[in-house]
Amino acid sequence: MALLELVDVTKRFGGLVAVNRVSLEIEPGQFVGIVGPNGSGKTTLFNVISGVYYPEEGRVMFEGKDITRVPPYKRAPMGLGRTFQIPRPFASASVRENIAVGAMFGTLGGSVNVDESLNIADQIMARTGLEEHRDKQAGTLTPVEKKLMEIARALAMKPKLLLMDEAMAGMHPSAIDEMVSFIKRISQEEGIAIVAMVEHIMRAVVGMAEKVIVLHYGSKIVDAPTKEALEDPKVVEVYLGKALEE
Amino acid sequence: MIYEQLAGNLVQGLVLGAVYGMATMGLSLIFGVLKVVNVGHGAFIMVGAFVTLWLFNSLGVAPILAVPAAFAVGLALGLFFYYIAVKRLLKGPELATLLATFSIGVLLEELIKLLFGSEFRGYNWEVGKIDLGITVLPMSKLYAALGSILIAVLLYLWFNRTRAGSAIRSVVEDSEGARVCGVNVGAAYAWSFALGIGLTVASGVLVTMFIPVGINPYMGGGYTLKAFVIAVLGGLASPYGAFFGGLVFGLLENGSYTLFALIPGVEPFALTRFFSFMILLVILLIRPTGLLRGK
Amino acid sequence: MKRDSGKYLPLIPVFAVYLVLFLVGDNISGMWQLMAMLLFYCALGQAFNIFLGMTGYVDFGYVAFMGVGTYGMAVSITGLAHYEGLGFLVIVIGFVMAVLFSTALSLAVGAVALRLRGAYFAIATIGVNEGFRFLIEGARIWNGSEGMIFMAELNKILGRETASALATYWVDIIVLVIAALAATVTLVYMRSKIGYALTALREDEDAAKVMGINVTKFKIIAFVTSASFAGLVGAASWALKTPYVFPPEVFEIHYTVEAIIIVLLGGAGTLLGPLAGGLIYGLSKYYLSIFLPGFQLLIFAPIIILIIVAFPEGVVGMIKKRFRDTALGRYII
Repeated sequence: MALLELVDVTKRFGGLVAVNRVSLEIEPGQFVGIVGPNGSGKTTLFNVISGVYYPEEGRVMFEGKDITRVPPYKRAPMGLGRTFQIPRPFASASVRENIAVGAMFGTLGGSVNVDESLNIADQIMARTGLEEHRDKQAGTLTPVEKKLMEIARALAMKPKLLLMDEAMAGMHPSAIDEMVSFIKRISQEEGIAIVAMVEHIMRAVVGMAEKVIVLHYGSKIVDAPTKEALEDPKVVEVYLGKALEE
Repeated sequence: MIYEQLAGNLVQGLVLGAVYGMATMGLSLIFGVLKVVNVGHGAFIMVGAFVTLWLFNSLGVAPILAVPAAFAVGLALGLFFYYIAVKRLLKGPELATLLATFSIGVLLEELIKLLFGSEFRGYNWEVGKIDLGITVLPMSKLYAALGSILIAVLLYLWFNRTRAGSAIRSVVEDSEGARVCGVNVGAAYAWSFALGIGLTVASGVLVTMFIPVGINPYMGGGYTLKAFVIAVLGGLASPYGAFFGGLVFGLLENGSYTLFALIPGVEPFALTRFFSFMILLVILLIRPTGLLRGK
Repeated sequence: MKRDSGKYLPLIPVFAVYLVLFLVGDNISGMWQLMAMLLFYCALGQAFNIFLGMTGYVDFGYVAFMGVGTYGMAVSITGLAHYEGLGFLVIVIGFVMAVLFSTALSLAVGAVALRLRGAYFAIATIGVNEGFRFLIEGARIWNGSEGMIFMAELNKILGRETASALATYWVDIIVLVIAALAATVTLVYMRSKIGYALTALREDEDAAKVMGINVTKFKIIAFVTSASFAGLVGAASWALKTPYVFPPEVFEIHYTVEAIIIVLLGGAGTLLGPLAGGLIYGLSKYYLSIFLPGFQLLIFAPIIILIIVAFPEGVVGMIKKRFRDTALGRYII
């Protein structure tokens, strides 16, 4: 059974069709890249999966359960995590407290208390190199540190699937490589499926992703293992030959 | 006979509604352009009332002529409060502008109390009545209604026929785009706020023309609530929606008062005010963006 | 990690201040009234802070909860007066009624208003005072606009002397207890998942939802808690001190203004903030009333505007920043 399944999902805003009959499957532990230029519907798709929008047609299934109309706050304890392109820290709280929030209301929610959540936060801070910022107010971190904290907070939820929204946008190329291998490692160690959204095919992400889904004006045009996707002429067309470069 | 009474009631409600609507336009304008809810709205209406009172009692100026003076006072106040407070809070949490406008309202109430005292005052502008057949209307009320309509029309023309007005409309649509086109967005915000306040203070004059008694520093509170009901009725961001919302509200208020007056054992005035609050809650629940479309 | 005892340390300065106020009032002649007023403002501030400070939402209709609390006590007193021998039980029942009424009203208002975001919520609450007051007056509930006077009933239940002692001394002790209780509940919330959820939704409501927080549920918890305390304060400070209740007085927006000033001045969302705010505002008002009576709002309105623009974290917020990484910092939250 697929971890996440979308069946003919369509989302409209007035006359505009932002997502057009998209179907896809994500298996547990899989690393998938969702790719497409601005306006291709990636963000809307993410919003439908995380519950910010409800689609007009189609279904969203998580572990076989229909979650199409389930509110966002109920999806987190099921195991659906999400990070945002521009990090959204709880600014006045400390880094430690921010990450602890993830533990408190994620999949472990019912079984951990505040102290245990803080301990989990400590563990995650150790793995992500954030310990030195432990008691700093989250709002005072640098953009890169905020991104890292965003991911740490999502990891504290112990998700089964993590939606990463433009996670690499605006990062220095060397930092991207590091970040991607870090995420891949976490994914493999924890068995978390990662769905990473990127605006254009970036060799680093693509190098790690097992399969790539390409969106174009709201429709899915490619859904294939990475190597195949890179060589697909439709993709080449959409990206004007970028994919042919190494 | 019944129909005559009903029709008479209708006219009264519409006349009242026009004034209410005009009194709300400033609120909607400020929210539409700056996304700021002016919680101190009623206090500015009160300022307009006192301007009228002072001009009439001290200088014998007819209220209808007090409108431009009140408008000018409002513009000045608007610019003042925009630059010392509102401007710096636009980028912050919503809570900040809510509390700031609220405090500005309190400040105005206390200042006026200091200057004029807290007794209830009024004035008497005798200009006769007009008999419309189905109902009799004091001329002052008619002038108030006509003044309201005139101002609404002038506002419409200003927004759609002048450069300044178009600049503001462009800022509402897309502030970044407007900036790129050379519109001074900061000034647009400042003048929109000032205009909104100016309209509100001016409306205070018309409100007193309708009800020339009970003028006191704390009279604004009741109007703030009504303004919000009307603004929400008409679509919080649209001044024209506010005007038509006002008409609807005027009819509803008048109608409900007449209705409640028929029920024994209740106080119709109080119940009418409770009723308007209920309308507010109901609309906020079903359609916070307003029942009437129109921008 | 044996840190449990450290969790509630910040209550020490709070209780210490209340104790000092009590001792000063009790032992220095003529000071009781002032201390009582300070305690009232501290209690009001602590209660209001639970909602405004922790969620970042403004309830402009807050005084309505104090109002219905007052009615709760009034109803108990007038309703049970003719039952012989109940004595103080009537007062206790009165407090229970106060909490029931304010909880009921807050659930009713909250069910509608708390689904709305920021500005819309504020708008909805603006009318709550008005709405509820005019419902009572309009539908002649509890005697409508004539209000209720229950001095005679209170004297009958407690005996004239006890009733008088209650109104001038014991009520203020009760208010002190309410203030201490509100502070305790605030800290308990802050240290629990409730506090974390509230901070998250205050900082970024949408991100909080995505992290699994049912924001409406937590807003309601804060709202109802805050409202219940308001009801208790109303029942004590209004109904028991001056045994009459009169709609225009108990739904007077003035008190909401004062609550806002106290919380913002002291530092919204902090534990000590309302305490500091209550003391500063109360003292200022008291001494101002000697030289310039009725001027306190005129003076505080621009101060609040200044605070909102330049010092949004309030007095305690600023002190907290200074002492953040020191030992003292553990007490100042």
